[in-house]
Amino acid sequence: MSHIVQNQKYRNRQKIKDAFITAFIAIFAVVWMIPILWTFWTSLRPYSDIIQKGVFSRPDTLNLQNYADAYRLMNIWEYLSNSFIVAIPAVFLTLFFGSLIAFVVTRYSFKFNLYLLLLFTAGNLLPVQLVYAPLFKMYIWIGDLVGNRNILYDSYLGVILIHVALQVGFATFVMSSYMKTIPKEISESAMVDGASVFRHYWNVILPLLRPPLAALSVLMTTWIYNEFFWAIVLIKSDSKRPITSALGRLQGEFVTDFNLLAAGAIMAALPTLIIFFILKRQFVSGLTLGSTKG
Amino acid sequence: MSNEVKENGVSRRTVLKGAAIGGAGLLGGGTLLSSCGSDEATGPVKFTARTNDETGLKIAQALVDAYTAETGIEATMQGSGDTNAFQDGISQYLQGTPDDAFQWMAGFRTNFRADQGLLVDLSENIKNLGDQMPAGFVSGATNPTDGKQYIIPTTWYPWGLHYRKSTMQEIGLDPEGLYNWDDFMKLLEGTKKKGLIGYALGDKGGWEAMGTFSILNTRLNGYNYHIDLLNGRAKWTDPKTLDVFKQFEMLIPYMNKNVLDISWDGMRDLLLQKKCGAIMMGSWWANDFKAQSQADYDDLWIVPFPEINPEFGRDSIDAPVDGVVAAANGTNPEGGAAFAEWCGSENGMLAAQAAGDTSLYANSRLDSSGYDAFNKQKLAVIGEAKNVMNFLDRDCRNDFAGPIVGVQIQNFLKNPKDINKILEETQAAWDALPPLA
Repeated sequence: MSHIVQNQKYRNRQKIKDAFITAFIAIFAVVWMIPILWTFWTSLRPYSDIIQKGVFSRPDTLNLQNYADAYRLMNIWEYLSNSFIVAIPAVFLTLFFGSLIAFVVTRYSFKFNLYLLLLFTAGNLLPVQLVYAPLFKMYIWIGDLVGNRNILYDSYLGVILIHVALQVGFATFVMSSYMKTIPKEISESAMVDGASVFRHYWNVILPLLRPPLAALSVLMTTWIYNEFFWAIVLIKSDSKRPITSALGRLQGEFVTDFNLLAAGAIMAALPTLIIFFILKRQFVSGLTLGSTKG
Repeated sequence: MSNEVKENGVSRRTVLKGAAIGGAGLLGGGTLLSSCGSDEATGPVKFTARTNDETGLKIAQALVDAYTAETGIEATMQGSGDTNAFQDGISQYLQGTPDDAFQWMAGFRTNFRADQGLLVDLSENIKNLGDQMPAGFVSGATNPTDGKQYIIPTTWYPWGLHYRKSTMQEIGLDPEGLYNWDDFMKLLEGTKKKGLIGYALGDKGGWEAMGTFSILNTRLNGYNYHIDLLNGRAKWTDPKTLDVFKQFEMLIPYMNKNVLDISWDGMRDLLLQKKCGAIMMGSWWANDFKAQSQADYDDLWIVPFPEINPEFGRDSIDAPVDGVVAAANGTNPEGGAAFAEWCGSENGMLAAQAAGDTSLYANSRLDSSGYDAFNKQKLAVIGEAKNVMNFLDRDCRNDFAGPIVGVQIQNFLKNPKDINKILEETQAAWDALPPLA
């Protein structure tokens, strides 16, 4: 009898605990959602309403006019295709090179294994603003060397390469963590069967990497798609800039219609949202990948 | 002679040709001559607009279209992507593969790049424009290092004291005039009594209050002292500089409490919503008043900042000049220079105006009789000034203006009592700056 009472008490305690956790999560979810909801709310109101009555006021009109205007001004399809011209090859190359390095440092035993891994991950720690000036000089220098300044600077190729260079460290890190969980015996049997190094990588290990590859490709696409810095500093021609720079079309020198900008921002964010919802499972599993094995 | 040309309605191009044949050494004639010359010598011209918004792009498109129509030279334009990023990355832009001409700002931001050899010398082009380009703009566009011009001025706006005429009337002051510091104090006192903010200021961006500082300095110590101070020839620890901040401090009791939390648009909104007496600001937002109602626009007024020291009267003004420059690393620098010159000519400005540019134009041939009362007043405000400043962040080196002066003015607004320490730090920061490369 007393046992049951105790159990009841325990259950009640658990219930309270659960309620706390739920409340806690709810609060954080709201905190995270507020900026997005606020942006959405802002995008429905006309600018004139805001200057006259202030940001915190009851709206007179709510409509989708800002979306129509933003769509007209942003030239959205051209910039969107630029974004994908950069993002798709960049993601493929990053995953290819990242998996190659990860393969070598985890499957083969070198003296410099750890240092090699460190080197690739450490690159990620440098702020891009620091890399920018020397990189710019380098791009121009290489351009002058081959007689065409625009071979890397102001070209898709240059932006793709810098994305690959900066992201490959993280991709290596994640994939090497994952690869360590693949039993050594698989590699051993491949080698016993006489697989070459490349066959070992391509036909044996790569197919096993599907989960981290899927997760990383979602992450990387989002990151590269959202990136604005390199696009604006390394691309001089507006016709080659990505969607993030189209938002610049909605901002004046002094006066910016933030309602219009909010509508534009939501439209620019749509593709990443769509990708996220389609591949949500991979995205979430990507966040914990390799966390069981250091 | 050049005026005659216009009055007769003869196209300038024909006249030029005539002038050239006749050997008349007209200044205006030179314009056409030089562009005629470049017709043969140069290929297509590429042009970058500094801004990237709808109006900015529309104006840039109108400029290149009109240029092509007039000269037959192919011209294309593009937006900068992002105005601020373009401004910040201008060094790289110019060292890379820039377009031949682009919209830019006069003052240090031009002269510094010119000293590095990144911009084309446009002195000849300015000469070609002759009497079309008022002397004040030529001097504003002149690089002190070598006395040459590297920018063709096109548009400008004045910084002045903005208020509502109705507020002045309610306080019993002349709605269209406010001359000296006493008048100004009456305005501030009167609005304060009504329970409003007297002098609205926002300095979240770190540059807005520079306008107040600069004008107080020129009113108290004169234009030369101000420019000397910004360029290291006078000391921040000088008692004269301290006086400026003492004067500034007199305004603080009339200010809103959230100075560092609002930007220039917050100041505008306070005036728009009739919550303050006056603001010191450049008048680029007058259209927002018009958007609210014609009555609000008619109520808006601008006067020069009041006189403090009769020795200097109201002889200086911040009137940032924008213009067009040509990049030395462009594929067609001569073409860029010719295009820049054309943008400064009457035809160039007419094309921009037709595309909806509401800025004030630098060209003296443009007819201002159609301006509304507020725009005419803007002309009167600048007409009174002898010395034109380009605004603090264009009058001195960029690594001093924003990161040091801007921040120290913010510090002052936070703790006016610390002013001695602030001035010492500012001087020390100037002394620690590396020489300009």
